[in-house]
Amino acid sequence: MAVIRPAGDYDTSYEQDMAVIRKRWQLALLLAMLAALYTLPLYTSSATVSFVNRAAIFIIAVQGLNILTGYTGQISLGQAAFMTVGGYVSALLMGVWGWNFFLALPVAGLMAGLVGLFFGLPSLRVKGFYLVMATLAAQFIIPWMTSNLWKDVLNGAQGLNVPVPEIVLPVVNGLCYLGTQFDAETVRCVYRFSTPSQFIYITLTVLVITTILALNISRTRFGRALISVRDNDLAAELLGINLFHYKLRAFFLASVYAGLAGALLASNLRHINSETIGLNDSIIMLGMLIVGGMGTNVGPFFGTVFMMLLEELAVWATPIIVGLISSGVLPGNAAGVGAALRPLIFGTSLALFLIFEPRGMAFRWNLLKASWRLRPFAR
Amino acid sequence: MKRIPLPLIILSLFLTAFLFAACSSPAAEPTAVPEPTEAPKEEPTEEPMEEPTEEPMEEPTEEPMEEPTEEPMEEPTAEPTEEPEAEMRTDNLEGETITFYHFGDLSGPYAAITGPLINGMEDAVAALNEQGGIRGAEIKIEFADTGGSVEEAVAAYDRFTSENDNIKIMFTYGSGEVEALASRFAEDEIPNLSAGLSATGFYGPDSGYTFGLGPIYPDQFGLFLDWLTANWADVKPANAGDEIKLAYISWPGAFGQGALTDETRAYAEELGVEIVTEEIFDLSPTADATTAILNAQAAGANVIWTNTLAFGPAALMNGLGALGLQDEFILAGDNWAMDLATYAFVSDPALAVGLISPFPYLWWTDTDHPGIQYAQALFDANERGPGEHNVGYLLLVAGVDVAAQAIENAIDEVGYDNLDGAAVHKALTEMGPYEGLDGVIRLDYSDGSRSPHVAQIRQIQGGPDAFVVLQDWTETPDLRPSE
Repeated sequence: MAVIRPAGDYDTSYEQDMAVIRKRWQLALLLAMLAALYTLPLYTSSATVSFVNRAAIFIIAVQGLNILTGYTGQISLGQAAFMTVGGYVSALLMGVWGWNFFLALPVAGLMAGLVGLFFGLPSLRVKGFYLVMATLAAQFIIPWMTSNLWKDVLNGAQGLNVPVPEIVLPVVNGLCYLGTQFDAETVRCVYRFSTPSQFIYITLTVLVITTILALNISRTRFGRALISVRDNDLAAELLGINLFHYKLRAFFLASVYAGLAGALLASNLRHINSETIGLNDSIIMLGMLIVGGMGTNVGPFFGTVFMMLLEELAVWATPIIVGLISSGVLPGNAAGVGAALRPLIFGTSLALFLIFEPRGMAFRWNLLKASWRLRPFAR
Repeated sequence: MKRIPLPLIILSLFLTAFLFAACSSPAAEPTAVPEPTEAPKEEPTEEPMEEPTEEPMEEPTEEPMEEPTEEPMEEPTAEPTEEPEAEMRTDNLEGETITFYHFGDLSGPYAAITGPLINGMEDAVAALNEQGGIRGAEIKIEFADTGGSVEEAVAAYDRFTSENDNIKIMFTYGSGEVEALASRFAEDEIPNLSAGLSATGFYGPDSGYTFGLGPIYPDQFGLFLDWLTANWADVKPANAGDEIKLAYISWPGAFGQGALTDETRAYAEELGVEIVTEEIFDLSPTADATTAILNAQAAGANVIWTNTLAFGPAALMNGLGALGLQDEFILAGDNWAMDLATYAFVSDPALAVGLISPFPYLWWTDTDHPGIQYAQALFDANERGPGEHNVGYLLLVAGVDVAAQAIENAIDEVGYDNLDGAAVHKALTEMGPYEGLDGVIRLDYSDGSRSPHVAQIRQIQGGPDAFVVLQDWTETPDLRPSE
């Protein structure tokens, strides 16, 4: 979406034109926000930190989906399956081969990317609903493989436990620095990311990196090619864009993002099995993207946080509604409230967004920003 | 404004993150490396392994261990115990509250079982409070719906632990969440009384605080195999030969596959039971199990074991009925399979007849038993519907009794003011053989065991509720996972 600015506010150089952060106060605001997020454990409850952790993990996965679906126009229902791949790879690397989490994380992303490439192959021949079906295959095949094949390594349906990520430093002059604790077994200084308040530093850092990458992908030649594939693939091909090549790259990137998110999720849960994340999550992630705004960088943030807050709302409202039904104030079956409320809220909000704001919350956000810039002339 | 180079941003973010991580630790200051731990560790490893480890290990433990423990231990305890002893509150805890935290699937596939479990707990706790709670302390309940998602279970756990840093006990109901949270329970020293009987969750390497309200699924499977081999000549289907050929037809996932472990495979082999096929069918009320049954038939199976509940065994019963193969197989399943919840999904109640299950509790029809009478009275007083007159309700009424007893024992040991998860854990492991609700369930968490090892074998013979005892309380084989 073009940036609407008041007359007289224009760029004088290419650098200015390409700048993500245009004003000093924007930079200050961004830094303040990052500082607020990174210091979250100091002033909020562990439950809030845990929520932010989960939200950040899903934002990363939805960012990947945004590259594939939002920018390239390839609808996928396999994102959760690629997360499973990332989760299993990191669990194997850390739990079985003893890798450090920070090495296992990028490898998990890459492995998920390679698997994503394979499932992206049909995108050359099919698109739209047919591609959805092809990606849906990943959602059935991958969990089946993880629970039925290589049981010696993957531990079948029981899945794998994932060690707690840790930073290991050597002992210096008999002392451990930077908050690390002495581990008598390894005779080293160790910092373990075992609680949500510690793990959040990893998720936030990965999120910032993936956000910068996603932001820049959309501004490069590669990103513009993806958008052209989405808008009119025939025209894009006539312009010299290799459709197959670009679609596959989009699949690869989306899966890398999913793999990273999966590895984070597995480490956060400390466990991964074929049921940890499934088709339902793939659908919800697509819903998050629609609600947030496809093809925008802020869309995954808005959509994910909004949908997750709705879920929290459902959790919060369930006992209240059950209480009202039990006391006869409301009619209905109290036992069914929990089962009904979450899908009901998800479905309703998705339907409302599709009807009233199909461009998602990001579009509203841009309108809001434009009206702020154009004040007092904005309507 | 100038653009900041990407690598610089990434680097600074890493640094910031690390600094924050470092600052968040309780010991942000450099921690001194404890000297004594280094010395004994390194010396013996350099010297020949055996001799030094024997000497330094035994001598220091005998001498320094006993002497210092006697002296320093007695002095501090002798003095402070005198004062706190007068204050150690073990009785008259009016005005205090003890919260039972639990989370489970009320809106997903396991809701049919979880709903009654939760209601059982609510009614049992309400009754206990009416009787004066635990030594006068009121029991409160905090519940979170996980929708069957492990991720939600972890979130609920985080929420609970952030609200209360001294949780005495939790209850969980799903195998998946038990496995995922086992290490957290141990780390946070929160005893978890669980109805999700996954072997990995109880006896995995990082576990230690998860206790079962029934035998783990491998033990149940093993007990059934014991009974089957002992009685094969009498119970085998008409067309079956002397060989027991078993088909494992179940759901995917931690619960569905929970009974099929390396240990149970080896045990089956030892007993001469051949597992001829492993089939999976959907975890859905509309799942069709006929293909799996036909595969089992093609593989020559004469016994089917399923680790499913409610619509799981029902899918097999319906499938066997539709195919007219009821007489060709013995159908058996885990304890949850034999429940009234199954009847809600069976097309004809007659199809349920013949199901065999390990049964680690008494049943509603054992009306002479005082524990059952108590549960029935609770059920009636709370006007629960017939759909909840099932295993979940009964088990949690008994589970609350176990938890209350363990907490009372812990209060006796450490006093209310020092009561924490570790104390309750100790109380559970020191309870010895315990009959929950006067014998509705039988537990023994001593000697490193965290799940019961006894159960009956029952069979459905007739209409709903006709769960007839084929074999009374018997010890199960110990098939917990090897380290």
